[in-house]
Amino acid sequence: MAVIRATDPKDWTHVDDTEYEAYCKERGIDPEKYTTMELLCIAAARQTYDYSFIFAGTGLPMIGCMMAQHTYAPNALIIMEAGILDPKLIEVPISVSEARGGYMCSTLSNMADTFGTFAQRGFCTFGMLGGAECDKYGNLNSTAMGGYYSKSARDDGKTGPTVRFAGSGGANNIASYADVGLAMMVQEKRRFPEVNEYITSVTGSRGPLGTEEDRYHKGLFRGAGTTIVSDLCIFRSSPETGELEMAEIYPGVDEQLVRENVSWELKTAKDFQPFTTPTHEEIKIARMVCDPNRIYLGRKTKRDLAAEK
Amino acid sequence: MAEATIPTFMRGKEKIMSLSDAVKTFIKPGTCICPGGFSYTKKPFALAREVIRQDIKDLFVTMNGGASICEFWAAAGLVKLLDTTYIGLEGIQPVAYSVRRSIQDGTIDVEDYSNYGYGLRTVAGRYGWPFAPLMSEFGTSFMDHDTFGKMGLRGKKADGSWIHPSIAPARAAVIEDPFDGWGLRPHAFEGGDGTSNKTNFLEQVRESTAYTGNKGVKVILVPPILPEVTIVLAQRVGELGTTRIEGILGPDAEQAISAKNCIVQTEKVVTEEELRAQPYSNNIAMQYVDAIVEVPYGGFPGQVPYYYDYDWDFWRSYTQINRKDKAEVNAYIKDWVMEDEWTFLSTRPGDGYPTITGTSGLERLFELRADAIYGYKPGLARPL
Repeated sequence: MAVIRATDPKDWTHVDDTEYEAYCKERGIDPEKYTTMELLCIAAARQTYDYSFIFAGTGLPMIGCMMAQHTYAPNALIIMEAGILDPKLIEVPISVSEARGGYMCSTLSNMADTFGTFAQRGFCTFGMLGGAECDKYGNLNSTAMGGYYSKSARDDGKTGPTVRFAGSGGANNIASYADVGLAMMVQEKRRFPEVNEYITSVTGSRGPLGTEEDRYHKGLFRGAGTTIVSDLCIFRSSPETGELEMAEIYPGVDEQLVRENVSWELKTAKDFQPFTTPTHEEIKIARMVCDPNRIYLGRKTKRDLAAEK
Repeated sequence: MAEATIPTFMRGKEKIMSLSDAVKTFIKPGTCICPGGFSYTKKPFALAREVIRQDIKDLFVTMNGGASICEFWAAAGLVKLLDTTYIGLEGIQPVAYSVRRSIQDGTIDVEDYSNYGYGLRTVAGRYGWPFAPLMSEFGTSFMDHDTFGKMGLRGKKADGSWIHPSIAPARAAVIEDPFDGWGLRPHAFEGGDGTSNKTNFLEQVRESTAYTGNKGVKVILVPPILPEVTIVLAQRVGELGTTRIEGILGPDAEQAISAKNCIVQTEKVVTEEELRAQPYSNNIAMQYVDAIVEVPYGGFPGQVPYYYDYDWDFWRSYTQINRKDKAEVNAYIKDWVMEDEWTFLSTRPGDGYPTITGTSGLERLFELRADAIYGYKPGLARPL
């Protein structure tokens, strides 16, 4: 799919260097050294493309879509499921329904209308999601681990699932309708099983392409592959098999670490390339334009906390 | 028609009630209740708190649009059944802890849908349709998991009545599209296809035999929601029930209209004329409203667009508290709601958690007032 991207930082939102230095000084943060959350946000924005309709889920995509609009996709439109089309995001929203997310949008309607009028009609061209668990074919589980059923519906004597997650929300629908999907998540081996025990959202091919198990044979009429942005690397669906492959690896990350943190025999994509280190311009925009309060960017992963110790 | 009585929904100004009367009249143990709003926005928290004060147990909560009210009810131990799409608190707590814990420890039984699946159920409920068509959820675990079915809550009793009046006889059904995907886009018009969509795999889908055994395009049918009570927050309500919602609608109008009874919590009861001067902006017709409860600032600690912003500091503090021992959280929430709403609103804002300005009570509420242009409070301090 040929796409347009604004790759020249001259076309991006401008941030004054002096103000940036003052900001970093006040916050006590290194102006050049990026954190894991900043890396995720920048990596996600690099996958987006201009003039797309970015349907953003809650959580990290809130800042991912904002970052995209201020850099690589200045003319992209944002959709948020509570009823929002093309808002002007000045402050990062903490919810897909809050007033910060609705400011100056083209229309403001309701949830069924957003999915109907925009997604079902084909205006969800880029789906951006978060996830808890992701398998070899890009299926996300954001529902439960350790058996889905709650107590009265199960017969194994357990009181419920071992871990209950938030559930689909709009993720299933965004994944089903998007031309291309993207999910931002933390990479741990247990979160990257070969096959998910519960499939909440089909972001990738679902099963091997061309078999009865692929997304089209199950009835989904849109969607051509996904990108998973983890905190170690970027996976992309193979156009031939649908399998997730390692497509880019972050600077300083050992390939072995990536392989140890997935449960299947991970292949390397044909067009594999090292990930370009986040630039000064990107870090500045992520910090000062998207999330100066560091609501999302200030968060730490388990790996970050372990590294600090 | 034997006896002529005036239906409750036509009883004019009698709909205006006190918070405690409205809850007492319409919400009973076991009621199927549908809270409106979405996450932190326009959630009818005053009504939710009154339910906690009256300790109404065994609730069957049906909802989409975030779990903030359900979180408080789960913390108070009031929820038994949950029909939902999402139990998170979005950017503040990925999974609402009390709801999560109650599902894991067997206190709450839960059925899951996707947001669009549920959204279409509210549309079907609103229009009185027997079902609505859904084109996602294919290929997922939604298709072969059904909690209420396994619990024996679906279908009819021996006497022919529904086992549960608010639970459909099936979670969903799959049919073959009688129109062979004709209505789906991309669709070949003479001038092009009329969508931004870049991918189209309808030909592969037509070859698929999934779910029915026959080749062709499949459609999932979802049943309407038929809750007994919907609670909703609207900025203004006319004295006969005409309702105006400003800012994002979320699922509110559909859910309100789908329900047997609807209680509207409002910032202000106004004359019908005030709203009927621009009838195109009204969202719920008067006869769907059964009770009107005026509680200015009753959406605290949430956000009511154009009126006030959410109390960020409260939520930051609460999401630490709700991870404590279950009994401790239960005691906290029951104490937090206080004896009545007025005492609550003049005491609890800014109480027991740090805020940058150090204000509390009504002063804190005034501080959260929204900017009329933005609909929120620009620059609201939101420290992590």
